[in-house]
Amino acid sequence: MRVIFPIRSATLLLALFAAPVCGLGEDGARSADAPIDFETEVRPLLVRACVECHGPQKQEGGLRLDNRAAALNGGDSGKVVQPGAPGESELIRRVALPAGDPEIMPAVGDPLTGEQIELLRNWIEQGAVWPASNQDLVHWAYQRPERPTLPEVERARWTANPVDRFVLARLEERGLAPSPRADRETLIRRVTLDLIGLPPSPEDVDAFLNDDSPIAYEELVDRLLASDQFGVRWARPWLDYARYADSHGFQRDDFRDLWPYRDWVVDALNDDMPFDRFSIEQLAGDLLPNAAESQRIATGFNRSAPTNVEAGTEPEETRVNQIFDRVNTLGMVWLGSTLECCQCHDHKYDPFTMRDYYGLFAFFNGTEIEADRANPDVPGSIKFLGPSMPLTDPVVQRQRDALQTEIDAVAAELTAREAELQEFDAEWETELAGAIADAPQEHPLEVTGFESSGGAGHEVLDDRSILLRGDAPARDTYTIRARPNLSGVTAFKLEALTDPSLPGKGPGRGDAERPNFVLHAFRLSVRPAAGGEPQTVRFVAATADFSQKNYDIAGAIDQDPKSAWAIHPQFHKPHWAVFETEHPVDCTGESAFEFQLVQNHGGARTIGRLRLSAITGDYRGATIPSAVATALAVDHRERTEEQRDAVLSYRRDHDETYRELKAKHARLEKELAAIKPPTTLVMQEVEQQRANAVFLRGNYQTPGEPVTPSTPAILHDLDAGGDAAPTRMDLARWLVDPQNPLTARVTVNRWWAELFGHGLVTTPEDFGVKGERPTHPDLLDWLAVEFMESGWSMKHVLRTIVLSETYRQSSAVTPELLAADDQNLFYARGPRFRMSAEMVRDNALSIAGLLSLNRGGPPIKPYQPDGIWVKVGGQRYDYKVSPGEQRYRRGLYVVLKRGAPYPSFVNFDADNRMACRVKRPRSNTPLQALTLMNDPVYVEAAKAFAARILTERPEASDEVRIAFAMRVAVARPPEPAEVDVLSALLESQRSAVAADPESAIRLIGEFPLSPRQTAGELAAWYAVATAVLNLDETISKN
Amino acid sequence: MISLEQTLLQATRRQFLGRSGVCLGAAALASLLREDSSLRAADRDPRAARPAMSPPRAKHVIYLHMIGAPSQLDLFTHRPELSARDGEECPESFLEGRRFAFIGGKMTLAGSPFRFSRHGESGQEISELLPHLSSVADELAIVRTLHTEEINHAPAQMFLHTGFGRGGRPSFGSWVNYGLGTENQNLPAYVVMLSGPLGGAGTSVWSNGFLPSVYQGVQFRSSGDPVLFLSNPDGQSDADRRRIFDAVKSLNERRLALVGDPEIATRISQYEMAYRMQTSVPDLMDIAQETKQTIDLYGAQPGGASFANNCLLARRLVERGVRIIELYDADWDHHSNIRKSLPEKCEQVDRAMAALIADLKQRGLLDETLIVWGSEFGRTPLRQGVNGEGNSTNPGRDHHKDAYCTWLAGGGVKGGVSYGETDEFGFSPVDKPVHVHDLNATLLHLLGLDHERLTFKYQGREFRLTDVHGEVLHDLIV
Repeated sequence: MRVIFPIRSATLLLALFAAPVCGLGEDGARSADAPIDFETEVRPLLVRACVECHGPQKQEGGLRLDNRAAALNGGDSGKVVQPGAPGESELIRRVALPAGDPEIMPAVGDPLTGEQIELLRNWIEQGAVWPASNQDLVHWAYQRPERPTLPEVERARWTANPVDRFVLARLEERGLAPSPRADRETLIRRVTLDLIGLPPSPEDVDAFLNDDSPIAYEELVDRLLASDQFGVRWARPWLDYARYADSHGFQRDDFRDLWPYRDWVVDALNDDMPFDRFSIEQLAGDLLPNAAESQRIATGFNRSAPTNVEAGTEPEETRVNQIFDRVNTLGMVWLGSTLECCQCHDHKYDPFTMRDYYGLFAFFNGTEIEADRANPDVPGSIKFLGPSMPLTDPVVQRQRDALQTEIDAVAAELTAREAELQEFDAEWETELAGAIADAPQEHPLEVTGFESSGGAGHEVLDDRSILLRGDAPARDTYTIRARPNLSGVTAFKLEALTDPSLPGKGPGRGDAERPNFVLHAFRLSVRPAAGGEPQTVRFVAATADFSQKNYDIAGAIDQDPKSAWAIHPQFHKPHWAVFETEHPVDCTGESAFEFQLVQNHGGARTIGRLRLSAITGDYRGATIPSAVATALAVDHRERTEEQRDAVLSYRRDHDETYRELKAKHARLEKELAAIKPPTTLVMQEVEQQRANAVFLRGNYQTPGEPVTPSTPAILHDLDAGGDAAPTRMDLARWLVDPQNPLTARVTVNRWWAELFGHGLVTTPEDFGVKGERPTHPDLLDWLAVEFMESGWSMKHVLRTIVLSETYRQSSAVTPELLAADDQNLFYARGPRFRMSAEMVRDNALSIAGLLSLNRGGPPIKPYQPDGIWVKVGGQRYDYKVSPGEQRYRRGLYVVLKRGAPYPSFVNFDADNRMACRVKRPRSNTPLQALTLMNDPVYVEAAKAFAARILTERPEASDEVRIAFAMRVAVARPPEPAEVDVLSALLESQRSAVAADPESAIRLIGEFPLSPRQTAGELAAWYAVATAVLNLDETISKN
Repeated sequence: MISLEQTLLQATRRQFLGRSGVCLGAAALASLLREDSSLRAADRDPRAARPAMSPPRAKHVIYLHMIGAPSQLDLFTHRPELSARDGEECPESFLEGRRFAFIGGKMTLAGSPFRFSRHGESGQEISELLPHLSSVADELAIVRTLHTEEINHAPAQMFLHTGFGRGGRPSFGSWVNYGLGTENQNLPAYVVMLSGPLGGAGTSVWSNGFLPSVYQGVQFRSSGDPVLFLSNPDGQSDADRRRIFDAVKSLNERRLALVGDPEIATRISQYEMAYRMQTSVPDLMDIAQETKQTIDLYGAQPGGASFANNCLLARRLVERGVRIIELYDADWDHHSNIRKSLPEKCEQVDRAMAALIADLKQRGLLDETLIVWGSEFGRTPLRQGVNGEGNSTNPGRDHHKDAYCTWLAGGGVKGGVSYGETDEFGFSPVDKPVHVHDLNATLLHLLGLDHERLTFKYQGREFRLTDVHGEVLHDLIV
């Protein structure tokens, strides 16, 4: 019988042994008696070369090489390894056969290298040492979980469900006993924070305390699981994995619209969407047959990748980097594996190869590009692209339809009127011809040279206007040259125009909301053809269609470098200015105008699109374009099309009916644009698939051997059903195939970690060989199987865990217990740890009575110190605090700008979401104390909490009020000694306020007082409220 | 957090005890392990000072990053041949396989419009734009062959500071903080200050990445609160605040006694440090305490905001035992009109940089303070004009990653050294090329850290600042 040792590629095997993977040194040549390390040397070779056909899934020739006993036992034809005797070992004979021999192993792929054969030979020579600690070659995590039998325990009465059986068994092994149940106040607060991320109200606590029903807790859990805040709490960790943010990251850190994806996650979690569907829709929702809108929104998961749109980036590099990010994220989120290493070489420890990596890469290689040059020849013209889907909204659609009908009607009227105006009107033409004789004429100047001192790029458009491109420098001076061949120029017109490519359409470049420009000087000189000295042209007067207060147009031609012309608040529309020369100017033949537009404000307050025209004739009279004058001189029957257009255009502009219709049309269009539906980024395949290959050393510029979309060989097979190349959809289905040994385990482990502070595998980001082994392997497998068999129900798993006695234990710890298990790895007590950044905030706002539970929609902006968003590159955004209740919405909705994330959250370990992260650190720092004490958000929360104490316990004693405060914050009544501490604080603060009443007024500031409150009393209670909000207990789940 | 602690436990055991054979000392190890919970408050400060891996040459580092990339060809690398052939088309052989961010089409050589001369006993060649720095030329080790792998600002800034161009990794300062801890209990160990706006990479360049967040840089700001949320709200006196702190402490202590979670003990000590920072930080930031002579030496202005002020503050931070100080100065991205813009920028930094070196020296602190000056990359020996064309009356220079300059001074650095040589136009190193990983390996070495052993286990892998590369540049070290 043939024994098959398949191997994917000898090159890769070579790389496995030769490459100093991830920082470890190269071994170099070894001598035969140097001891061989089974784990790092033999094991990977067996796994790569043999186990696919001689492992858990297949046993060709009855041989298994993945397990110590089986391997030493041999196959159908007897032993293959004779320890100490390589010459008698079938294994060596077979691998050492010449290439092409029918018996050579591996039967598929290239033969082993001499070095590899030598390694096996030496290993057998040295006794074929296979440590008992490494019984199974295939790492536990790559073997399918099976539902384990429940262990026998002594204190079976303690257990509420199987979770407890597994936990108790481990405790009993270690001679530990579970802690008593947490008291009911602690329990309701713990489970409410865990399931919906908010503290229970005092009413909730009372109801629970007074509910004698044996299933009171169960009912509480079910109510919480059904709450629409459940999804808000659990979306937070998922969005960390999805590296969801509201901006691109990198230098041009502009905003993107992706929040509908965030809302999709919340809804899916609230609906308890089965995790297999949840995964499929996010990875490949666009490929579902007749994909629903929500299924396409879900693909925002992978559009969340940071995108480098800095001017001058290489689009292909950016595209490849985004796919790397997608593969790495998939590896971490579904496989709990670090695939990243395989970008450059085979994984040193885990059985993943470069080929595996680029096989996965290939699934993502067919989507639309997301950053590219707007103009292929201009490296600076990088634009953020990629499919963006408008969302349907029935209300918005009805409004739009109504407006569209109206617009269509006006457009028809306009067409009719235009047809009338096209008819020759001799009387009108005669009248106009008379006016032309001494009317001024505008001559748009053809640009012959343009320079930006700040290095901005430009493009000259067909209408002779100049459109600026690339990164907008803070300050800029434009130098513009033209050779118009004109004489008798009495004035110059500068038009600052809008353009769709400009932020907020312009005309300025700096900012979408306030696209102002600030023109400090408008200068002109005439350069004679002969190369003589340039002559400066003096301007004596200037007029503009609009000037900003204190920024009159006159500022552009006076000699004061600080005065300037600007247009706030008339943004998003074109403006013009006319500069009158002292004397008529000639510029004929080869002589040239050279204009300088100095714009020194900073913040890219520079003109984004401009046009310069020379005016001849009396510029104060009605201007008649030169093209019209030329056309009128020609008999109307002989005019060119261009001339007819010029006359028509002029006639239209001066026809009252037409102008009114036009204005109405523009107004309606604007209204329509203002109610455009929100959009969201989605994934979409391109028609033409790109070539797929391994990238040598991870460099896309050096493609190696071709690959096809495929999944890692060590894991279960991908069934794409047919001959067609597998798609992202097949990949998604493969991930949530019950055959997948990882997805369910990795997922339940993260939920466990959210509840207990650490996972059963404490390295949730790495289930590989170098990751931690599970503390409770059977429990992990039981939960994983339970998860899959419940129809992938997250709520079922969470419910099971929080109903366990393990979860319900008191978290108090004794020195003995700390000594025995300081990290609570064995759960002899309940979980206790600080809340996440977002929960700290939601909790405080909830205690203060400020929290808004509104869900969904664009991100919100709470108070943030000035200057956080000021950075080089990209659009400049003013940080405007959201109005009304918006600012009090839950932390999930706070805007996340990757280059400058919300600092309060950063101080509590939230990160900038530049990469997938499945575990946040949990630090304890002085910056956290400063944030809770002084961040205006928390100062306001403390004031509101103080007011709430006074309002909700009117006419009550200090003690009653203090008790109320504690119950609101930590769900339990205070002990007498605690009341004493807070009463003393209150009293001393009252004295301080009495001594300095002014300070109380300053402290309370604009915070609204109710009729019967005084600033002094509120200030005294503010101290109590601040103290309570700052307790370790208040910001911890206990 | 327990899982993190475990990670630290395994990582540190392996890296400090097992693989390296260097013993960290039981107390220091214990403190390194305590990110979130442990037995006694005294043992559990992850910021506690830790012994270096090898005898450190410097205890502090001041990193001066010129955001945008100054032109090495107009400041340090004198290329007479480039000047001689200014305006000529660049020979094709120099352009092969090279990437540019913006320029394309005709490639025109761009000589420096500025004069170079030799300075000090060492005869270091420095341009006329840096007259003050030239006066301390003998203190500088100028590396002329630094090269990087990224050609756009944000990725290159991340690459320089985190060894990786795409974000998510710990910064140099975080690694040092993780490796050495702090010597000051009243200030953060790692302080960042800006003159001008934040660079394109945002806060990534001082982020802790996957290291515990206590190791991130803390930004000191020149307007508003010097540290975010440092000041009490209006109407709250220090006495008011102390009373609240005391009440919180008292209640936290009661809770600790009841539930026994050591995390509460840490919380108590962090609140005390926060309270101390409310005094120590404003005191630090008050440069009016300095003599007029010192203020003038730097060209600083009390109450103002500038690179000069930040340099003076850096010295004050060093005096207070702060380990890592990073100053970022914006607006060095001179794609055009370099003739005008570069002198303006140099004038803003030259005096203060030289003053920092001289002042530290006169106070006997230069020996223990490493100063690094540099940027994310350099600039091309080619002109950049309008739309990337080579011809322009006011040309600038494009991004250049293949050879540029950085200088080191102070703690353990051999002064008066010029390291590495480039070709006649300054495109590429021809002798002693220095990769960013080599530079980072060297900086860590000077601080007593071995870049191969300063690792952190994340995703099953021992991560390093220098990935799997980096050679210490011993020639730069005394």
